[in-house]
Amino acid sequence: MDFSHYAPLWGEALLTALAVLVVLLGSLMKDSGKLMGYLSAAGIVAALAIVANTLTISKPAIFFFDTVSVDALSQFFKAVFLIVSLLVVIASLSKYTGKGADVYYALLLFATVGMMVVASSVDLVTLFVGFELASLSTYALAAFDKSKKNLEAAMKYFIFGSVSSAFMLFGFSLLYGMTGSTKLADIAAASLGNFGPATLVALLFVIAGFAFKMALVPFHMWAPDTYEGAPALVSAMLAAGSKKMGFAAAFRVLLIGLIALRMEWYLAFAILAAVTMTLGNLAACWQDNVRRILAYSSIAQAGYIAIGFVVVGAAYGAAPVTAFNGLAVPAAQLGIAGALLLILGHALMKTGAFIGTAQVASMVSASSEKDPDDISNYAGLAQRAPITAFCMLIFMFALAGIPPTAGYIGKFVLFSSAIYSGLLWLAVIAILNSALSLVYYLRIISYMYLKEPAGPKVSEPKGYVVALVLTLIAVVWIGVFPQSFVDWALQAAAVLLPQ
Amino acid sequence: MYADYAYLIVGLPVLAFVLCLFVGWHLPRGGGFLTALATFGALVISLGIFSEIYPDKIIHQSMPWFANFNVGILIDPLALVMLLMVTFVVTLIHTYANGYMNGDPGAARYFAEAALFTASMLGLIYADNLLQLFIFWELVGLCSYLLIGFWYRKPSAAAAAKKAFLTTRVGDVLFLTGIILLYNNMASLNLALKPGEYLLQFPVIYAHLAEIPPAQLTLIALGLLGGAVGKSGQFPLHVWLPDAMEGPTTVSAMIHAATMVTAGVYLVARMFPLFYAAPHGLTAVAAVGAFTALFAATMGLTAFDIKRVLAFSTVSQLGFMMAGLGIGAAVGTMAVGVAMFHLIGHSFFKALLFLGAGSVIHAVNTNDMREMGGVGKYMKWTMYTMLIGSLSLAGFPFFTGFFSKDEIIVIAYEYGVLINFLPYIFLVLAAVLTAIYTFRMWFSVFTGKERSNYGKHESPMIMIGPLVILAVFAFGFGFAAQSDFYSYLDSNFEHYDVNFEELSVIGGHVLAGEHGATEAATGEHAPAAEGEHGAEEAHAEPWYIQILPIIIAIGGILTAGLFYWDKIKKFDPSQVTGDNDPIRKMLLKGYYQHEILTGWFAEGVVYGTALICNTIDIKLVDGWLNWLSAWVMGFAQNIRKVQSGVVQNYVTALVLGIVVLVVVISLAKEVGLA
Repeated sequence: MDFSHYAPLWGEALLTALAVLVVLLGSLMKDSGKLMGYLSAAGIVAALAIVANTLTISKPAIFFFDTVSVDALSQFFKAVFLIVSLLVVIASLSKYTGKGADVYYALLLFATVGMMVVASSVDLVTLFVGFELASLSTYALAAFDKSKKNLEAAMKYFIFGSVSSAFMLFGFSLLYGMTGSTKLADIAAASLGNFGPATLVALLFVIAGFAFKMALVPFHMWAPDTYEGAPALVSAMLAAGSKKMGFAAAFRVLLIGLIALRMEWYLAFAILAAVTMTLGNLAACWQDNVRRILAYSSIAQAGYIAIGFVVVGAAYGAAPVTAFNGLAVPAAQLGIAGALLLILGHALMKTGAFIGTAQVASMVSASSEKDPDDISNYAGLAQRAPITAFCMLIFMFALAGIPPTAGYIGKFVLFSSAIYSGLLWLAVIAILNSALSLVYYLRIISYMYLKEPAGPKVSEPKGYVVALVLTLIAVVWIGVFPQSFVDWALQAAAVLLPQ
Repeated sequence: MYADYAYLIVGLPVLAFVLCLFVGWHLPRGGGFLTALATFGALVISLGIFSEIYPDKIIHQSMPWFANFNVGILIDPLALVMLLMVTFVVTLIHTYANGYMNGDPGAARYFAEAALFTASMLGLIYADNLLQLFIFWELVGLCSYLLIGFWYRKPSAAAAAKKAFLTTRVGDVLFLTGIILLYNNMASLNLALKPGEYLLQFPVIYAHLAEIPPAQLTLIALGLLGGAVGKSGQFPLHVWLPDAMEGPTTVSAMIHAATMVTAGVYLVARMFPLFYAAPHGLTAVAAVGAFTALFAATMGLTAFDIKRVLAFSTVSQLGFMMAGLGIGAAVGTMAVGVAMFHLIGHSFFKALLFLGAGSVIHAVNTNDMREMGGVGKYMKWTMYTMLIGSLSLAGFPFFTGFFSKDEIIVIAYEYGVLINFLPYIFLVLAAVLTAIYTFRMWFSVFTGKERSNYGKHESPMIMIGPLVILAVFAFGFGFAAQSDFYSYLDSNFEHYDVNFEELSVIGGHVLAGEHGATEAATGEHAPAAEGEHGAEEAHAEPWYIQILPIIIAIGGILTAGLFYWDKIKKFDPSQVTGDNDPIRKMLLKGYYQHEILTGWFAEGVVYGTALICNTIDIKLVDGWLNWLSAWVMGFAQNIRKVQSGVVQNYVTALVLGIVVLVVVISLAKEVGLA
C-alpha cells in the first residue's frame, strides 16, 4: 500500500493515533496531564503543518471510493478547526494538568478529528460518522468538570443533539431512498423533483440537523444553557469549532448534493437568518451572565453567516458582478467567501472571548459563592487583569464588526455580497442588527474599563495569556491585511460552484 | 542599496516609540536618546537614498493591501527634500529636547509621542497613495493633540489641545470628502489598471486627471484645500495654531513651526497637477495664502508672548508658501519649487527661532517679552543665533529667507501682470510687517534694560549645539542650494505621465512664458515647467521689483529699531497710537476673532442652533428612540422567557420549527414565491 498517496490525510491519521496514545500513556503514567497537553499541542501543530501544505490545492484529491475529498474548502475548514483546538489546548495547559487531564486532551483530539472528517466528506455516511464522533466527544467534554451545572449542560446538549441527529439521519435515509446513493455527486445527478413533498421534508430534516450545530433559531435552544454550563474552554470549542462543523457540512450537502432544491433552502435560510440574528441580538441585551451574552452573540453571528446560503440561493449561476475589489466575481462566490471569512473571524474572536471568561471565572470562583460569569465580576477588569481586559476589548469590538478587525472584514464581504445579489432587505436587517449588538458588547466593555475594580489585581495564567495574545494578533492581522485571506476564501468558495 | 531600507525611515521611529512607551521610564532622560538616534538613523537612510537617486531617479515600492488599495513608498524629488528636511530638523530638535525635557516627570511619554509623531510625519511624506497619506495625516493630528496637551493638568493646555483637534477636524472632514470624491471619479472611469497600479496612487491620479470632469476637479481641489487649510493653519482655520504654543517649546518648534504644519503645503504641492487642472483651484489657494500672510503678520505685530509672535509668524509664512503654490496659475510647476524652497528654508530658521525662544524661556522663566529686555548680555549664543534666524525670517539680503521668500514675491509680480495684482500687494505688505515684528521681538528681548528680575544664565551645550547648526543652515542654505534646488524640484513631475499643457487648457490658465510675461500675455500656452530658473528669468521683471524686497527688509528692520532698539529709539509705541486707538485695539484683540468666533459664532449661532437641535432631539428623536428601545427591550425580555431551561420545551421548539418551515415553504411555493 502506498502511504504517500494518502499524504493529504496524514493530519487526521496523526491526531487519531495521538488521541489513542494520550489515553494509553495517561493510564500508564501518573501526573501526566501537562505532558499530554504539550503532546496534543505539538500534534495539532504538526497536523496544521500538513493541512497548510495543501491549503490552496487546486484539484480536489479524492479518497476511499469517492467519500472523502481534500480540496481548498475542506482545508479551509480544517485550518479553522485546528487553530481553534490549538488555542483551546494552549489555554487548557493552565487549567487541566491534574488527574484525568489525559482524557480531556484525548476527547479534544477526537472531536477535532471528527470535525476534520466532516470538512472532507462528500458522502452522507462518512459525514454522519464524523458528525457523531465530534458530537459524542463534545458531549463528554461538556460534563468534564463534573459540577452540577456541567452535568445539566451536557445533558441538555446530549438530548437535543440526539434528537437532531435522529432528524438528520432520517433526512439522509429519505435522500438515499429517493436517489439510491449516499454520495453527494450522485444525489446531485438524480432528479429529486419526482418525489413531491418528501423532498421538502428530507431537506428540512437535514437542515434541522445542521442548524442544531450552527445554533440557528429555533434549533438554538440548547446553546445558551450549554455554553453557560459547560467548562469555559469547552464552550470555546463548541462555539468556535463545532458550530462551524455544521456550516462545513451544510455547505457541501446543500450546495453540491441538493443544489436542485436551492429555491427551497434559499427560502428556509432567508427566514432562519433573519430570525436568528434578530432574536439572538435581542436576547443578548438582557443577559447578566457574560457567557450567556456570548452564547446569544454566537447565535446572532450564526444568523449573519447563514446569509451566505441565501446569497448563493439568490445568485446561483448569475453573471459575475464587479465587486468592491474591482474584479469580476460571481456574487454567489463572494457570498460563500464572506461566510467563510466570518467563520474564520468568529472562530478566533469567540475562542478568545471564552478564554477571557475562563480567566475571569478563575479569578472569582475561589473567593465567592456567586456566579463566576456574572457581569459584575468584570468590573474594573482593566486594572485587575489588564492583558485579558485589553484582549476582550478588541474581541468585543471585532464581534461587533468594527474595523480593522477580522469581524469587520467578514461582515463587509458578506453583506456586500448580499447587496450585489439583490438582497438589500437582508443586508439592512443584518446591519441594523450589528448596530443593536453594540448594546451588549459595549456593556461588557464599560464594565471592564469604566467601573471600579471588584477586587485586587491578579496574576494572569501563562496559558491563557499566550492563547489570548495569539488570538488578538490573528484578529487584528486579518483586519489590517485582509487581502490574502479574501483571496483564500474566494478560492475555497470556488470548490462549491460549477467552474 | 539604501532604497531597500526605505521602510526603516518610518520603522526606526516606530521602534523608538514602542521602546519609549514601554521601557522609557527605566531609562535615563526618559529614553530620549532612543528617539533622537532613531530619527538620526532615518536621516542617514534619507541621505543614502539622496546620494543614490539624485538627480534623475525616483523610488517607488508598493505592495497590495486589500481590495483597491495598496501600501507603498514613493520617493521623488518633492518627497526627498521633505524627508531630508524633516529628519534633519527633527533630529536636532530631539537632541535639544534631551536637554530641555530633562527632569520632567513625563519625559518618557514625551519622547514616545515625539517618536510616534516623527514616524507619522515621515510616513505621510513618502506615502505613494492618498489613502495612506490620509492615515498618517490623522496620526500626525493625533500626536499634535497629545503633545499640545502634554501638560494635561494645566487647563489652558488641555483646552488648547482640544481646540487644535476640533479645528483641524473641520479640515480633515473636507479632506476626506475630497478623497472620496476623487475615488468615486477615478472608479467611474473604469480604468484598465496594470498590475501594481491602484486607483488612489499618485502616479495613477496624475495620469488620469484630464479625464475627470472639470467641475468635479474643482470640488475635489476645494476639499483637499480644506484639509490643507486646517493642517497648515490658514485663514479661517488658523485659530488653533497660536494656542498650540501651550505645549513644550520643543513641540512648538517641531510640530507647529517646522514640520507638521507644512503638511498642508506639502499636500497641495503633491496634488499640484490636480489643483492646476481644476478651474479656480489655484486661485483659491492663492487667495487663502496671500490673505493669511498679511492677516497673521498684523497680529504678530501686537502679541506680547514671544511664542505667539513666532506662531503668528508661522501662520503668515505658511500663507506665503500657499500663495507661492497658487501663483502656479501663472508660472506652472515652477511654483512648486519656489514654495517648497521657502518651506525648507523656513523650517530651518523657524526651528532655530523657536528653539532660541525656548532657550530664553528656559532661562528667564516667562514668555512675556515685556518682562525680558537685555537678555543678550547673559545669553550670547542664543542672542546671535537668534539674530541670524531673525535676519533670515525678515529676508535680509543673502540670508536663506531672502532667497526663498522674495522669490515668491517676485513671481507674485508675474502673477499680477498676467492675472491679478492683489496677491502681490498683500505679500509685499506682509513682508514689510514680517521684518518689523521679527525685529520688534529681537530688540525687545535681547537689547535694552532688564525689565524684570529673571534667571541670568546661558542654556546647556546640548541645547546650544542644535541652535548653532540650525543657524548655519538658516544663513547659508538659500545661497548654497538655490539653483540646484529649483532645477531638481522642477523635474519632479517629469517622472510621471502628466501633461501640463492639456491640464492648463482644462484649468483655463495662461502661463507666463520662459522669457517673461509678454509672450504668454499674447496667448501662447508655453508651460514653464522646463528651463533655467533663476538669473535668466528673474531679469524679466523690472529692476525695482528685484530691489524692492531688499528695501522692504532693511526698512522694516530699521522701523522696528526706531521703536524698540534703545540705541536709536525715536518713538515710543504707546505714544504713537493712543491706548484707545481703534486699530491698535483691534490688532491687540486679534481682530476680535475670539469675540466673533467664540462669542458670536460658537456661543451664539452654533450653541443656539445646538439648543434648538437639542430640544428637537430630546423631544422628538429621543422620544421616538426611547419608545422603540423600550419596546425592543420589552420584547427581548419576553424572548428570554421562552428559554425556560426545560429540555422538553426545547425539543418541542425544534419539531415545531421544522413543521413551520415545511408549511411556510410549501405555501410560498404554492403562491409562486419560490
